Amino acid sequence: MNENRKFTFSTVLVHILLIVLVVINLFPLYWMMTFSLKDNDEIFGGYLKDDAGKAILDENGEKIPVERNMIGLPRTWRWSNYPKALNTGNMGRYFLNSLIVSASAIAITLIAAFMATYAMTRLVWKGRKMMNKFFMLGLTIPIHAALVPVFMILSRMKLLDTYVALIIPYAAFSLSMGILISIGFMGDIPYDLDEAAFLDGCGVWGIFGRVIAPLMMPATATVGIYTFLQCWNELLFATIFVSKGQYMTLPVGVQQLFGQYTTDWGPIGAALAIATIPTMIVYALLSKRIQAGFIAGAVKG
Amino acid sequence: MKRTFTYKLSIVAFLLPALILFIGILIAPIIMSVIYSLNDFKAISGSDMTYVGFRNFIELFSPELVNEKGALYANVNYMGDALLNSLLLAALSTFIQLPLALIIALKLSKGIRGERIYLSIFFMPVLISTVIIGRLWMNIYETNGLLNAALDALGIKQQVFSWVSSKITSTKMPFQGGWTGYKETALLAAFVPILWQYVGYHMLLMYAGIKGVPADLLEAAQLDGCTEGQVNRHIIIPYIKPILKVCVIFAVTGSLKSFDLIYTLMKDTRRAELPSTLMYKLTFLNNRYGLGSAIAVVLIVLCFAFAMLISLAFRDKGEKVS
Amino acid sequence: MKKLVALVLAVAMLLSLTSVFAEEQKVITMWCIATESDANRPAYEAAIAAIEKELGVKIEWEAFENQSYKTKIKTAMSDPSTLPDIFFTWAGAFCGDFAAQGNVYCLEEAYKDYADALPAVMLQNASYDVDGNGKKPYAVPLTMNIVTLFANMDLLAKAGWDHVPNTYEDLIKCCDDLVAAGITPFGCAGSETWCVTEYLEPIIEKTIGYEALNKIFAGEGTWNDPAIAGAVDKFQEMVTKGYFAADGLTLGNDQIKANFIAGNYAFYQNGSWNCGEVNDAEGNFQVALFPVMDAEKATYGQVIGGPSDSLAVAATSSDPAFAAKVAFELGKEICHYGYLAGSGLPAWTPDYDTSAVKPLVAAVADIVAAADGMVLFGDTAMSADPANIYLDYVSKVYGVEIDGNGFIEGLSATLQ
Repeated sequence: MNENRKFTFSTVLVHILLIVLVVINLFPLYWMMTFSLKDNDEIFGGYLKDDAGKAILDENGEKIPVERNMIGLPRTWRWSNYPKALNTGNMGRYFLNSLIVSASAIAITLIAAFMATYAMTRLVWKGRKMMNKFFMLGLTIPIHAALVPVFMILSRMKLLDTYVALIIPYAAFSLSMGILISIGFMGDIPYDLDEAAFLDGCGVWGIFGRVIAPLMMPATATVGIYTFLQCWNELLFATIFVSKGQYMTLPVGVQQLFGQYTTDWGPIGAALAIATIPTMIVYALLSKRIQAGFIAGAVKG
Repeated sequence: MKRTFTYKLSIVAFLLPALILFIGILIAPIIMSVIYSLNDFKAISGSDMTYVGFRNFIELFSPELVNEKGALYANVNYMGDALLNSLLLAALSTFIQLPLALIIALKLSKGIRGERIYLSIFFMPVLISTVIIGRLWMNIYETNGLLNAALDALGIKQQVFSWVSSKITSTKMPFQGGWTGYKETALLAAFVPILWQYVGYHMLLMYAGIKGVPADLLEAAQLDGCTEGQVNRHIIIPYIKPILKVCVIFAVTGSLKSFDLIYTLMKDTRRAELPSTLMYKLTFLNNRYGLGSAIAVVLIVLCFAFAMLISLAFRDKGEKVS
Repeated sequence: MKKLVALVLAVAMLLSLTSVFAEEQKVITMWCIATESDANRPAYEAAIAAIEKELGVKIEWEAFENQSYKTKIKTAMSDPSTLPDIFFTWAGAFCGDFAAQGNVYCLEEAYKDYADALPAVMLQNASYDVDGNGKKPYAVPLTMNIVTLFANMDLLAKAGWDHVPNTYEDLIKCCDDLVAAGITPFGCAGSETWCVTEYLEPIIEKTIGYEALNKIFAGEGTWNDPAIAGAVDKFQEMVTKGYFAADGLTLGNDQIKANFIAGNYAFYQNGSWNCGEVNDAEGNFQVALFPVMDAEKATYGQVIGGPSDSLAVAATSSDPAFAAKVAFELGKEICHYGYLAGSGLPAWTPDYDTSAVKPLVAAVADIVAAADGMVLFGDTAMSADPANIYLDYVSKVYGVEIDGNGFIEGLSATLQ
């Protein structure tokens, strides 16, 4: 393997290509950050204005033209775009809602997936293979296909406009993946442990609670990541099932904010950045773990 | 362990949370969707449901309908174009996105310097909300957006515009710079951010698979004097076939059900209509619940069919190789 | 854990306490779409505060986002027990469907107390014949709006025009002059089809007359009229001649409006609710109507629009007569504050000082006062399914995918 690390023409070429890809990957984000700190006059070329939007005049009383600066760093750093975006929409609230919904969905998925996996892999009964195949159907079912019926069910149970309206469907749609991953992880736990615990007088619940569940901790990260990816960005259910600002999640909230600032790129950029940065920080801190968890899902599944 | 009554009861208890969720939110709604798709109704409660057999499906797949006077007219709810669009998206994903992901994964997995950083950066867009990506790309595709500004800076804006105009047949208007406003450009415009976001997803999956190839297999091949290309072709790719299968299934079914990006990128989805956007429109704007459910049923059938077909395709080839 | 229990108990006690207090005064529940970001929010807040004081009633109101509210209210109709006492609705077919389901309280009695302040004609768009005994009103209008032609006089002056053209020939001449001077005549958001109807509907109305168009929207007339095809072709000609901004196909209405206010287009034809905003912008703006196309069938004073934003009372309300009174009072006050803010024209006859009304808003109010006839916006007048088919065809016209003949043949065959 070491020879690959040598400084050869082909490795240089590979690095150049990879760096081009890195630039393509990062450029939209860089661009978003820069235009979140500009005003339209700077982005498109116009006249110099103060924070209140009034044209600044030179000594002759003429407007001062600004050269178009679409992709460069801001000439004036307009941090005021950020409070604007924060104050109009309730970004903090949307963020919190997304967290509550995702975390609850992850918790429910984990519990249901671990329990079902335990029943299908550690307990002996006829039809457990069939049951597994049944759950795997969920992998290909498109989430949209259940939209109208789930809407009716939620409406009849008076659950629309609550957190539950999103948590339960998200958990249900993450379940198949959760079970698929859990089966891989649980298969790695030696059966001897079950036997030993059984001889110590544990029942099936005891074995699950004291032996299996603690050893499944690595799987929580993996199932958690896959469920998070599914819930955090979901738009359709969130648009239809929740109409009160109080329960809106980030994607819907951000979408609403666009409606008010369609023309002002600065506050829009700020809103986009506010919605993106916390996830990026968490990712930067935990990227190794997140990737490891994601990879474990690919290998175990 | 004895199979006592309590043991059986425990099995049921362990399965219960998953079963309730799965049947309540997936299986039952799908059965309901099938029933709805055979009915016509305009109240969301279904209080005015009338059984119409397969008429909804016939309506979805007829480019033209006949009215009571026997005259033909264009069917505005025709699903054919939307279906073609989603298949085109699936093809683009499979034949452009996946090979690109595979090439990057192959290069990265061979212990290149800065491997981890590359991995982290390529995977990052997966975590950004599609709504945000859609809005960001809207600013790129606008008439006075980034793309046209770049073309202008390169001095080729007019040439590109007249070339695109010559390719546009759906309208008599020349291309004027709005990349999401024309049938011929809108879908492609939507594919680019999808590609941008998900290359990293597939790349990481494949990377994981390649890392799982036993080292002795690779060493043996190198001792035999295999070139890098030969190792890739004859050892690594056959070895990670199961993961490639999963990637293809995700890419195809993902394209069939994609909604968020088009919905955010375009106010009027008519120029890049997909089954899911048509379903949203028919269901929640036109109150055609039966017709919308029929699209849902078509989508389910297609997703299953493609998943099975892809599995079959991979199994046949896999048997020949091993 | 103990803290949590204590917290839950405290909240529960607080809730029960408030409900005890609330029982002392009447409570009316209301749903509307005046979310915190809505331009009408201040008008609602002011009106609700005034009515609560005046009638000693507690109004518990919730605001929902426009698009999801449509789904929410339709769903609530399938289980009327979930409806609030008063709910926001659009006039035309939207409210008509609810009234036909028997879920809306008839306002015929309650209106008698308000006949002086609210002209009967303002109730027409929300009057339905539910039981076969003739049309009766079912919703209280708030403000009303018409399609208005906004003109940037500074740009017109650059092309040598000192007035808004009032004949079709003049308008075309003016557009040619503008194009020659390097100015884009019109801005229209093609990605939001309702914005295209703001142009097309006045052109059709000014060609075939308001009575004929009203009949077509009500499903009593036919689209299959060569005159309509001619009107559509004339509109399309304006598009193909480059009178409309190039970015129209992809931009949303907010952007087009901002571009117009920033001086990028000479004209912008859209709802009169924009009056306040255009009035407050820098520059010299005027309001007018689209000129007459066929003087034999139409007059200048025929407009598109009318009262649509309304409040209705649920038939399931525990005290519908009182709720109706609150709805009328609220409608009157929301209209009052909305008119002063420039977010709409008064459906109610003003009994307050109108000297503070913005000049542009007052100018449109004068146009309305002199109107010869009105046709409600097509997508409001028609029910959801035909309205969306209609919008689909309008979108195809603006995209130059079909011509006038394709428009009338397609629509008449589809909607017959």
